[in-house]
Amino acid sequence: MLDLLPTILIAAAEGHAAEPAGKAHSLMAGPLLLITQVGVGVLVLGILLCLYRMIKGPHLADRVLAGDTVAMLVAGLVVMLAIKYDSALFYDAALVVAILGFVSTVAFAQYIGAKNKSAPEMTPEPEEDTA
Amino acid sequence: MTTQLILDTLAIFFLLGGLFFMLVGAVGVLRLPDAFNRLHAASKCSTLGMMGLLLAACLHVGTGDVVAKSIAFILFVFVSTPVGSHMLAKAAHRDKAPQWDGTLSDELAEDNAKEKVS
Repeated sequence: MLDLLPTILIAAAEGHAAEPAGKAHSLMAGPLLLITQVGVGVLVLGILLCLYRMIKGPHLADRVLAGDTVAMLVAGLVVMLAIKYDSALFYDAALVVAILGFVSTVAFAQYIGAKNKSAPEMTPEPEEDTA
Repeated sequence: MTTQLILDTLAIFFLLGGLFFMLVGAVGVLRLPDAFNRLHAASKCSTLGMMGLLLAACLHVGTGDVVAKSIAFILFVFVSTPVGSHMLAKAAHRDKAPQWDGTLSDELAEDNAKEKVS
């Protein structure tokens, strides 16, 4: 990660934003970057709404699905970063966040489902031939 | 130059669409009345919103690794989100999560009751 630091610092410096070498610079690139900056605000607003549901949610499933949505929104934030800096370096981070969200959702679903043992799928198999 | 202009305009279109779906999904998670309705909003909107953002990244950046990773990401999201939300909905139903007063029918509970009788 440390060897990436100069690249990130140069990209983040004022006036050097998203100017890859040898790439044609179109007329709509400015509005696109403006929309990415507005979109970061939109995604953060969505994260705040989901966090409110995560705090308030009456059932555990509400909290878990709010966490899943937060993971997807954070992956969206990382993709916005990739658009802003014209780079594929951030995609792996977004993929890791999405995979962690999916795995945690599945794990919590197993936990919630296993709490209630009376459902037909969860009844233990009858013990046979324990002679 | 012109090609890049067209690609960036398409990228803006997909970016706005993706952000719209992401925001609508978050508002749905906040506002809808019970866990199953919220699950509906969250899974559909985050899938479509993520697809929009990734297509925008594809069109704007346009290099081979970004396109390949975006396609892999879109396939992953389109497989994993329905699976996860389905598991979560079934678990919430099994845990007897409270349902909205206006719920019209609960066929899974009816099927379970029928299975228990027979």
